[in-house]
Amino acid sequence: MLIEFGHFALVLALAFALLQVVLPVAGLWRGNFSLAQLSRPMLWAQFFWTLVAFSVLTSAFIGDDFSVKYVANNSNTELPEMFKISAVWGAHEGSLLLWALILSSWSVAVSIFSKRLPNEVLNHILIVLGIISIGFLLFLLLTSNPFERLDIIPLQGRELNPLLQDFGLIIHPPMLYMGYVGLAVPFAFVLSALVRGQLDSTWLRWSRPWTLTAWAFLTFGITLGSWWAYYELGWGGWWFWDPVENASFMPWLVATALVHSLSVSEKRGAFKHWTVLLAIAGFSLSLLGTFLVRSGILTSVHSFAADPERGLFILIFLLIVIGGSLALYAWRSTSMRSSNSFSWLSKESGLLINNILLVAAMLSVFLGTMYPLLLDSLGLGKISVGEPYFDAVFVPIMIPAVIAMAIAPFLRWKKDTVSRVGALLKNAWIGVAILFAISVYVVDNKFILLAVCLFIWIVSHSLWLLVNRMRQNSRPNLAFVGMLFAHIGIAVFLLGATVTTQLGIEKDVKMEIDQSITIKGYEFVFKGVDDFSYQNYQGHQGRIEVYQAGELMANLNPEKRQYATGMPMTEAAIDPSLYRDLYVALGESLGAGAWSLRIYYKPLIRWIWLGGLLIALGGLLAAFDRRYRLIAQRGKS
Amino acid sequence: MNMMIIMGVMLLVSLAWIVWFLKKPLADNGVDLRQSNIDLGKQKKLELQRDFDQDLIDQVQFELALDEISATLAVELEQQSVKPSNVENNILSMLAIVVLLPIFSIGMYQSLSTHKFTTITTQIVNSTPQALEQSIQALKQHLVDEPDDAKSWAVLGLSYFELNKFKESLEAYEKAYQLTPDNPKLLVEYASTLVSTSDNQFSKRSVALIKRALEIDANAPDALYLAGILAIDIQQFELAKGLWNRALSVLPKDGKDYQALAALVDELEQADKKQASGTVTAVVTVNVTIADDILATRSAEDYLMIYVKAAKGRPMPIAIEKLKLKDFKGQVVLSDLNSIMPTRPLSEHDKVLVVARLSRTGNAMTQADDIQITSAVVNVADNPTVSLELQ
Repeated sequence: MLIEFGHFALVLALAFALLQVVLPVAGLWRGNFSLAQLSRPMLWAQFFWTLVAFSVLTSAFIGDDFSVKYVANNSNTELPEMFKISAVWGAHEGSLLLWALILSSWSVAVSIFSKRLPNEVLNHILIVLGIISIGFLLFLLLTSNPFERLDIIPLQGRELNPLLQDFGLIIHPPMLYMGYVGLAVPFAFVLSALVRGQLDSTWLRWSRPWTLTAWAFLTFGITLGSWWAYYELGWGGWWFWDPVENASFMPWLVATALVHSLSVSEKRGAFKHWTVLLAIAGFSLSLLGTFLVRSGILTSVHSFAADPERGLFILIFLLIVIGGSLALYAWRSTSMRSSNSFSWLSKESGLLINNILLVAAMLSVFLGTMYPLLLDSLGLGKISVGEPYFDAVFVPIMIPAVIAMAIAPFLRWKKDTVSRVGALLKNAWIGVAILFAISVYVVDNKFILLAVCLFIWIVSHSLWLLVNRMRQNSRPNLAFVGMLFAHIGIAVFLLGATVTTQLGIEKDVKMEIDQSITIKGYEFVFKGVDDFSYQNYQGHQGRIEVYQAGELMANLNPEKRQYATGMPMTEAAIDPSLYRDLYVALGESLGAGAWSLRIYYKPLIRWIWLGGLLIALGGLLAAFDRRYRLIAQRGKS
Repeated sequence: MNMMIIMGVMLLVSLAWIVWFLKKPLADNGVDLRQSNIDLGKQKKLELQRDFDQDLIDQVQFELALDEISATLAVELEQQSVKPSNVENNILSMLAIVVLLPIFSIGMYQSLSTHKFTTITTQIVNSTPQALEQSIQALKQHLVDEPDDAKSWAVLGLSYFELNKFKESLEAYEKAYQLTPDNPKLLVEYASTLVSTSDNQFSKRSVALIKRALEIDANAPDALYLAGILAIDIQQFELAKGLWNRALSVLPKDGKDYQALAALVDELEQADKKQASGTVTAVVTVNVTIADDILATRSAEDYLMIYVKAAKGRPMPIAIEKLKLKDFKGQVVLSDLNSIMPTRPLSEHDKVLVVARLSRTGNAMTQADDIQITSAVVNVADNPTVSLELQ
């Protein structure tokens, strides 16, 4: 009975999403305040019933209710409790329910924290968010019902994909979805402004903190995904240019451009068209990414055809969202005020270059991800686009963006001169040149040399910026500190990614008991393999002792697990440090106590995720900048 | 309390919520768009002044930017926003909601609901959700009272199978079969279990069960599917295609089973076309030698699996050849025809590793006593020849 309760709650959530749109629209149309103000109560009710549905599904997982098809397919009695909870979003139906819940949570946050938005503006925003909710709830109920019952109830469920039975996967999807769905908020701000025909300071100012928050979550989600892939998949890699990864990276690139573009539009009244298009593109790409991943089209074109009902719904929904918003833009673009002027050398032009490069980078990823799928689906043959393409196209686009990123904060608004910038940065550049010269002398790998130079370039400029700000006796605000964090995060990430790729060592070895191998001064001694069993899996656990200069410094216990479903899993053992990771994955038994092992030495790999965290933290700091609270406080007083 | 009462309560709560806010509207927050833009204009001027103080804009441009802020504000103030102000009684709206919300919600729920009431067996499990072992005990207890409940025997067989207790599983299925020998669904399930528990080999018994199922219902999709698998197993691809096409003719076209089976038929046809055209675009020749001391410990019935996997990326095989040791002649040629996924044939990969594995079971998953060797990275485009030595 509880399941039917959850199912009906989801139907009620849809009903309230419809009311969230219909009643305020009627109120705005008729000038009826009582109806227009209903957008918030209807939204809160929609959130409540979605939360009820989500809680019911979670309780079905905890209670092992295998009469529910989704539970039976993704959980069993042996699954540890915390994975039963994360199994709720471990497959298509549940993750879409999480999408819907997070969307309504964001909407509730907007309704509560946008106290300085005039009611009529807030109503329009909530109407747009309501329309998106309708799309998702309909998609859930019509094609992906998580509450579907089974005619014959199995006594035991199947298994949550063992890859997903991991702490990283408990938090990675919700964080990523917070970012994906969060981009719906700036999208809703833009659409409401277009509908009202008032692309004014209000929407620009108040959409920025929401955009920054969504961008920070997206960054954090992607970083978590990369970290998880590294330690869980057993290949020692952190990014594979996999289409599923690209699906989250494309909206991130556009959101990064949007964060910068909004800043110019808000302060100097320039780039408004560009900002509008980026907000539309950011959410459209996040929709495209989520749907493509969840429909299976990215892993195989045929899985799209395998469920034509879902595929058709996706296409229609995407068409409505992208087509509708672009049509609205086309209709309103002529009434938008032309951009304020700026010179070729100015902060505006620096940020414009940054935007163009970020969008070009996104298009290169888009092409590499979608083109093979398009060819395949049209029956025009199959091509494989992998790392070489992205290295050749994406990286060269990003290098000038990174160089410009360090300089742009020094440029003046509207107009600057080469001589002033040169004078301002002269001392910094002397220091940078000395560090470059030392790097050329010390580093013999050209890629690492480039990364080190870029690292020095960004960090020294960021610190110089801070010094300049201090000299002016001006207290740095959170937006400024956030920018420094994010820019230094990029530098940290760049160095980590390049060094680990260039200097990482991978050894596939056959080892007998007490045999050892030395990599970069670390001696790995194989001490054998033990059998073990746990709640829902059993397997083998290796014992590897790691010595440095004759002293034992780590015991590593990589595992090879066999889950109840028969799916094997490799659980790598890692000795982490900021300087390097030692990573061992257990391979196959080769008889007579010998095993194959995969051993990695990964220098600076932690810097990749440290960089990601700094970027995300920078976004959050900027979102909480004082000026977004200032007017609110003044309003209250 | 039945579902209708729960739904009624949920609807009443929902309607009460709407009526409450219609009767007592949320107060306007008093923020005027015009005033908001004026405040923001002032704020922007203050921020511009701060930028000027920090030398982020020069004097001339500062003044120009001040003018621009003023001009922008002037344009924004020209735009009129219509603020709804009437507070109406909304009796009609309320009535419409009171009538339409239940109709919409219940109608939608009824049209989507898949809940069906099930048999005694499922009720036992549903009413007391227990661990699998405990559920089996409950089932066994139920079967002591009702030993002729064929469906429960079949569920018991499935449960044991899930616990890898194959002997008990087959015994339970046999009981179910003795009770209802003419139930094609049960026959297919029993046959499928027999095949699964004997290393995917079809025995005389399993073949007989499939035949019997098809005699009872020549168009039983499950039986046709399994018969197709059997045909594939004995290399009768045309027969498999025929059986599966027959299954397709009775399956609903919008169902998942139809799509999955159609994909299988399509794969067979694609393989036929490739074979007919002889278009093999990539070939990896693998020579394997096995040390005498290993051969001495192995049976001729053991399996040798030779496969290719990507040098970087996911470790699943791309193309594979599996044969018994007695049938192995020292060399295997892998090509697109051996590809696991017709959509990603061998020729679409570049750098790969070649693996030779000696296995007693032939199981896809590595077993403890398997012996395996992996080659260095080779380039598929070179049509390489790889020599591997199992020692």
